[in-house]
Amino acid sequence: MCVTSSGTLKMAESKEEVDVLVMRVVKDITNAFKRNPNIDEIGVIPCPGARYNRSPIVLVENKLGVESWCVKFLLPYVHNKLLLYRQRKHWLDRETLVDITCTLLLLNPDFTTAWNVRKELLQCGVLNLEKDLYLGKLALTKFPKSPETWIHRRWVLQQILHQFSAVARSRKQHHQGEVEQADAERSQQLSDYLARTLHQEMKVCSDAACRYPSNYNAWSHRIWVLQHMAKGNAKVFHDELSSMRLWVSMHVSDHSGFHYRQFLFKELITELSQTPACTTTSSSKHQSNTVPSSSSHHHNHGQANGELSGAEAAGGEERWLRFTKILQLFHQEMELCSDLIQSFPGHETLWSHRRHIFYLWHHLRREHQQHCSSNGSVESVHFNNSDPCLPEVGAQSCAGQGVSVNGQKHINEPMEVDAASLPDPHDSKRLKRGIMLPAPPALLSEHNFVSSILDTCANPEQRRFAMAYKKWLDTVIGQQP
Amino acid sequence: QGTQVKDVIIKPDAPSTLLLDKHADYIAAYGNKKDEYEYTLSEYLRMSGIYWGLTVMDLMGQLPRMNRQEIIDFIKACQHECGGFSASIGHDPHLLYTLSAVQILCLYDNVDAIDVDKVVEYVKGLQQEDGSFAGDKWGEIDTRFSFCAVATLALLGKMDMINVDKAVEFVLSCMNFDGGFGCRPGSESHAGQIYCCTGFLSLTGQLHQVNADLLGWWLCERQLPSGGLNGRPEKLPDVCYSWWVLASLKIIGRIHWIDKAKLRTFILACQDEETGGFADRPGDMVDPFHTLFGVAGLSLLGDEQIKPVNPVLCMPEDVLQRISLQPDLLN
Repeated sequence: MCVTSSGTLKMAESKEEVDVLVMRVVKDITNAFKRNPNIDEIGVIPCPGARYNRSPIVLVENKLGVESWCVKFLLPYVHNKLLLYRQRKHWLDRETLVDITCTLLLLNPDFTTAWNVRKELLQCGVLNLEKDLYLGKLALTKFPKSPETWIHRRWVLQQILHQFSAVARSRKQHHQGEVEQADAERSQQLSDYLARTLHQEMKVCSDAACRYPSNYNAWSHRIWVLQHMAKGNAKVFHDELSSMRLWVSMHVSDHSGFHYRQFLFKELITELSQTPACTTTSSSKHQSNTVPSSSSHHHNHGQANGELSGAEAAGGEERWLRFTKILQLFHQEMELCSDLIQSFPGHETLWSHRRHIFYLWHHLRREHQQHCSSNGSVESVHFNNSDPCLPEVGAQSCAGQGVSVNGQKHINEPMEVDAASLPDPHDSKRLKRGIMLPAPPALLSEHNFVSSILDTCANPEQRRFAMAYKKWLDTVIGQQP
Repeated sequence: QGTQVKDVIIKPDAPSTLLLDKHADYIAAYGNKKDEYEYTLSEYLRMSGIYWGLTVMDLMGQLPRMNRQEIIDFIKACQHECGGFSASIGHDPHLLYTLSAVQILCLYDNVDAIDVDKVVEYVKGLQQEDGSFAGDKWGEIDTRFSFCAVATLALLGKMDMINVDKAVEFVLSCMNFDGGFGCRPGSESHAGQIYCCTGFLSLTGQLHQVNADLLGWWLCERQLPSGGLNGRPEKLPDVCYSWWVLASLKIIGRIHWIDKAKLRTFILACQDEETGGFADRPGDMVDPFHTLFGVAGLSLLGDEQIKPVNPVLCMPEDVLQRISLQPDLLN
């Protein structure tokens, strides 16, 4: 650390002296970044007074610290300097602007105008975009909520996306020989760069989410990033959903983290349910490698499933796979939710998650019903008038709870899945081959879940949330068609 | 295996009566500490800070104690060439501070002090194709800014200058399954954003688009055993959410769904008996922001020592009557 006369800062009498000394501290910060480009955290070191002849800027490994005593000199100084510049009362060269906005934003990252000065510096090429993402990342280590820091990040990311789409456009324009070759390489580089940036953003969001619970800004930024940088990329959404599983299990009261999971879940379900599910019949040749079930499948109703032409069969196959995947996702999510509610009683977040997932299922069913009735699908009529002795999807489930919940006694329960027009789960051929479908959520199984909690749990909060969930099922879900 | 409920416990010796004189002294003195470090730190939101201070003074009938001319001169100095206002001199213009500036001028019945047409141009220029509003020329989108835009225009009587249908469409696209709203489509419901969106729908005459029972339910679930309200599940109660949740409930006609007496006890307990002012929670440091929302919350709860407050614009009702603005509320 370069030695400054910071010890005398407190004693400095004249304005000029303060100027010189403070600018030296600003330089110390700039130099610290030059000496160690891998600084990964900033902080204020509680320190009542200056230690003679030592800089208040302390660099230990990758951590940059500012001694607390100097902040009250440093901040007003850089603050006023920037504002005088903004009012064109005082000229600053670009290098100084870069340095003082950096110091200012690390100390007060919600100072919007300082970020705007950097946007202008970025636009005229004095700064580069990565550098600003880095500065924001550091500011977030100390101020993980800072709205203006997140806003600036989105602006920087937009610039990166614009660059990307500009290259994509120019590729379309000339597509000949060498130009094309060069463009293809550049395009590949850019898409690698975009993938790296996306990955880095996810990391920045995770870090901020761990530093401050239910960090609205961090999680809504993460959603924005996926919406803008991973649109339609199911793999990214899948990977995120998988990696969030552990995270939410370890942060059972983080409502924002759970909301993010709900967002991912909904996107994936929407993607899977996009092919019209009611226009073709589900009785296709199902080439499944599912292991035949040993459980008793006595629900063979011998429905007449006529053989279909190749094309129709392929469509049905695809639809069946998607349907199975949807059921699987819902089943797994409800199971995760039940496990967490039972393991960590009294968390409103977990009950709210349950509402969300159940609502999605309910909504999906309704949409399919409406879709089918508006298409006048013969099949949906067939389903709705199906033999009252037909089992529900859940009855074929491998899940233990499915059997009692969806047993014969309750088959006319309007909430159960088979009345809907999702693909026919009663395909006799599949049943013969013993294909098991995961149990979807059902109103009755939800009521049973609530009862089991109320029967076994004494935690007053848990009971309160269970009762509220029951009431929600009765009023919000129960009153909808 | 139990979990601790995220809530506060109100001590028996916590303040239980409203200390209006103390609060007025606190706000009157706040503006005098201009050189302090904390004051520099919050300069980026100064215009809103002044709005908070003046509004709470007006609600307490103490507005004449503030320096009217100094404040109006300051506001004029903050209007930029583009028509928008910045938080303070030398800062960049933004919709947030444009609304605050217009609100202050309405409190002082002095909107003519500024170039109104340019303000309208500024707001109009920030509307995007999808109906949303950017906060400033750099383009950040948020339902908060939709509220700022229509609130500014409503106060200036110029709502017809923007594409209201498109603006409504965007805000509705941010509605969630729980009846709440987030900052952008797909974002989590948040009491602050819900306040902005219900306020927006009130000003645009579209409250019938809200699922009032569902949203009212979610809002009521924000009340904790202490009586305080939080902004999202499993967050601590906070006086500012007392305002945002309560005002939203008032707008959608469901204010009677919460325990008003308990909420009042919580808000009163957030006062500082020595310094005056309200904190976010009992025992914390006070600030003008929580002081406004504490007093405004008590007004919505029917405290007769305070002027009636309008739930949509968080301004005294008499000010809005003067400019003949009565935003819709559901019954």
